[in-house]
Amino acid sequence: MTGAVLAPGSRKAPPLMEAARGRSLWDDARRRLVRNRFAVASMFVLGFLVIAAIVGPYLAPYTYDHLDKTHVWVPPLTGDHLLGTDSLGRDLLARLLAGLGVSLEIGVVATVVSLVIGISWGAAAGYFGGWLDEVMMRFVDILYSLPFIFFVILLMVTFGRNFILMFVAIGFVQWLTMARIVRGQTMSLKQREFIEAARAVGLSGGAIIGRHIVPNLLGPVVVYVTLTIPDVILTESVLSFLGMGVQEPLTSLGTLISNGATEMELAPWLLIIPSILMVVTLMAFNFIGDGLRDAIDPKER
Amino acid sequence: MGLLLALAGCGGEHPKKALRPPCPAGKVCMELGNDGDPTSLSPLKITGTLEDRITSDVMMGLTQSAPNGDPIPGMASSWETSADGLTWTFHLRNAVWSDGVPVTADDFVYALRRLMDPTEASEYASVLYVIKNAEAVNSGKLPATALGVRAIDDHTLEYTLEHPAPYLLELAKHQTMFPIPKHVVEKWGDAWSQPAHFVGNGPFNIVSWKLGDHIHAVKNPLFYDAKSVCVDQINYYPTYDSVAAEKRVRAGELDANGNIATNRIAFLRQPDQMPAYVHVHTYLGTSYFAFNERDPGPFRDRRVRIALGMAIDRDFITQVLSHGATESAFTFVPPGIAGYTPPAPPVWAAWPLARRQAAARALLAQAGYGPDHPLKFELTHPSSPTALIQMPSVQADWKAIGVQASLKQEDIQILFQDLRLRAFQVSWAGWIADYDDAMNYLYLNQSSSGIQDYSDYHNPVYDHLLDLANKEPDSKKRAEDMRQAEAVMLADQPITPLLFQVNTDLVNPRITGWVDNIVDQHRTRWLCVKGVSVVH
Repeated sequence: MTGAVLAPGSRKAPPLMEAARGRSLWDDARRRLVRNRFAVASMFVLGFLVIAAIVGPYLAPYTYDHLDKTHVWVPPLTGDHLLGTDSLGRDLLARLLAGLGVSLEIGVVATVVSLVIGISWGAAAGYFGGWLDEVMMRFVDILYSLPFIFFVILLMVTFGRNFILMFVAIGFVQWLTMARIVRGQTMSLKQREFIEAARAVGLSGGAIIGRHIVPNLLGPVVVYVTLTIPDVILTESVLSFLGMGVQEPLTSLGTLISNGATEMELAPWLLIIPSILMVVTLMAFNFIGDGLRDAIDPKER
Repeated sequence: MGLLLALAGCGGEHPKKALRPPCPAGKVCMELGNDGDPTSLSPLKITGTLEDRITSDVMMGLTQSAPNGDPIPGMASSWETSADGLTWTFHLRNAVWSDGVPVTADDFVYALRRLMDPTEASEYASVLYVIKNAEAVNSGKLPATALGVRAIDDHTLEYTLEHPAPYLLELAKHQTMFPIPKHVVEKWGDAWSQPAHFVGNGPFNIVSWKLGDHIHAVKNPLFYDAKSVCVDQINYYPTYDSVAAEKRVRAGELDANGNIATNRIAFLRQPDQMPAYVHVHTYLGTSYFAFNERDPGPFRDRRVRIALGMAIDRDFITQVLSHGATESAFTFVPPGIAGYTPPAPPVWAAWPLARRQAAARALLAQAGYGPDHPLKFELTHPSSPTALIQMPSVQADWKAIGVQASLKQEDIQILFQDLRLRAFQVSWAGWIADYDDAMNYLYLNQSSSGIQDYSDYHNPVYDHLLDLANKEPDSKKRAEDMRQAEAVMLADQPITPLLFQVNTDLVNPRITGWVDNIVDQHRTRWLCVKGVSVVH
């Protein structure tokens, strides 16, 4: 007896056990993702864009609001204006970098906001069901019925105009759809055996949501997120176009494109270049989302 | 793809019919772009040119605007002046309101009393302070009956003035001197000017108003000269974005639109674009920045105002951004105003930009602003494409002297409302002459103009010089007094002039009767389309 007792820490795992440790869901996902060439290329592109948006403004020869009064409306490759200048003589490259930064920031922040609120709201409503579900989802319906622009104007009138408010406004509206999707998924998930098992073991509702429901939701959520980011970037451009978003001279991709569209016969580069950048950014997000969905959803194997 | 082709085929066959609202066969329909939605249709409430365009189509004063903008007989068929120029007698023609009730001299008296009623708070009342006792009545010191206006009989109207005003006939075509239908106003109160109750005496009648969409008007068969009116139906569309409106004009969806984005004029004039549509000519209009002196902020300091005025590179805006379509302004009253020589611009106007910037920086430093304590404020401007190009340029000029101005764009009505409420720090403003006289500009900064003195500028010397000018019978001396007043005001810079506007209109060449004029008034009653003839 005495010699057979071992301290727990000192026990060596038998070789057999090591071999039996299966690959986790996430290992699998990562492996599948890396195998998707489009997704990987998109990650590189997006990584490059993010770095460019962060570092670029410090390296560019001009700031986004500097007027080069001797080079107004010059096409690309004139002087040291690599991409030309706009109707005020502002360097397009500098403005693109600034605009990209703003658009990415809004896209990501507003999406994260919608993600956090949407998932917790939808999962709670779906899991607990009953009257709580009724109340929570009717609340969502009410917010849904608020016209978006009207809501934004109300916010602006009450709190004044600022940049942060736009994150709030967009995030506030985007989480509604997210909550509905998550609720639907949760309702189907909670009938499954592994949830019953978890409940039988005596896990609390919160723990079941956090440990079992949310991870299983990721597939549809990730897909929705990849749709949300471009949507948010576009919504921002709508707001900026109406004068409620980014204020001149700061800019965003949407603003650059809408300004470029008014001058497209005269200065096509002001429309084409920002449009290309916008398309590349949105497509990168879409490919990554596609890849993630294929990777995470086990049914796609 | 199939759908796309089908659509393309459709568009090719009837490009214009699909875009314009249906027009009954044999009728002439006008689709007119207007800079925005009016705040009201009532001549006593409105202030802007975009509102004047509509109200002056459906109502008419003693005189009216001829195709070339000159005042010609309207509701009055003739008039005479007393020898001292203080009493004007107008003889009204036999005209009726659109509900058939005759237009009488009493309707004019009623309108003026209502305009000057202090409880009505009509913003534009001060433009008629030339009428005897108007200022006292408007400020509540005298009863409305003390006003210098009298209905001698149903068809004879007499005005008594504070001082001779050779421009009274110009004023008589302005909306503030319009009659209003007393019988309708007494029935409905302020709601009389809503489309459902509206009764006018102009060539057209308001039918409906869809806010933000369009205002619909049709020919008024009871108009005294209805047989000479060619157009049967009008739709006025608010076109906030002049570039979008330009595309609608190009597509034939709109017949005319005021305002072309100034940086596009040169492009549109190219032979393969729409040169026949472009109308550009001089105009009595000034764009300027108003500094809010009611706000206990930095703008009470004259040095700050002068520094900001100095630092603006106006020539870059007028010559480069607008391709020479506008003119840099260092004085307020636009060139071309009758019988007036503007004062010399401030001495710094001739300095090169670098010297002006250095001087501006020095002034700001004296006022206590510098790199450690930069001057920060908000610049309010309209959300028009032209302003979106000009304002960042001004902002960059100010940044060059260490001033941090953030831009705030507003719809044009909101912007003017902010100006009236003094809910701004620095704001773009524009003034377009109501009548061809320098006083129409200079009275704006007079203490007595109240709500329209956007800067809240109060200088007794300035007020006194303008009072002198008002009382001066000799037109040369009067002009000299006004010139001195303007010089005093410019030295204080309660406003800083930016540029003299040009008048730009985009008009389909099929429209006839459109005459470019210095006040940019093109009443729809004079317009027609090619191939339709009407006896004027």
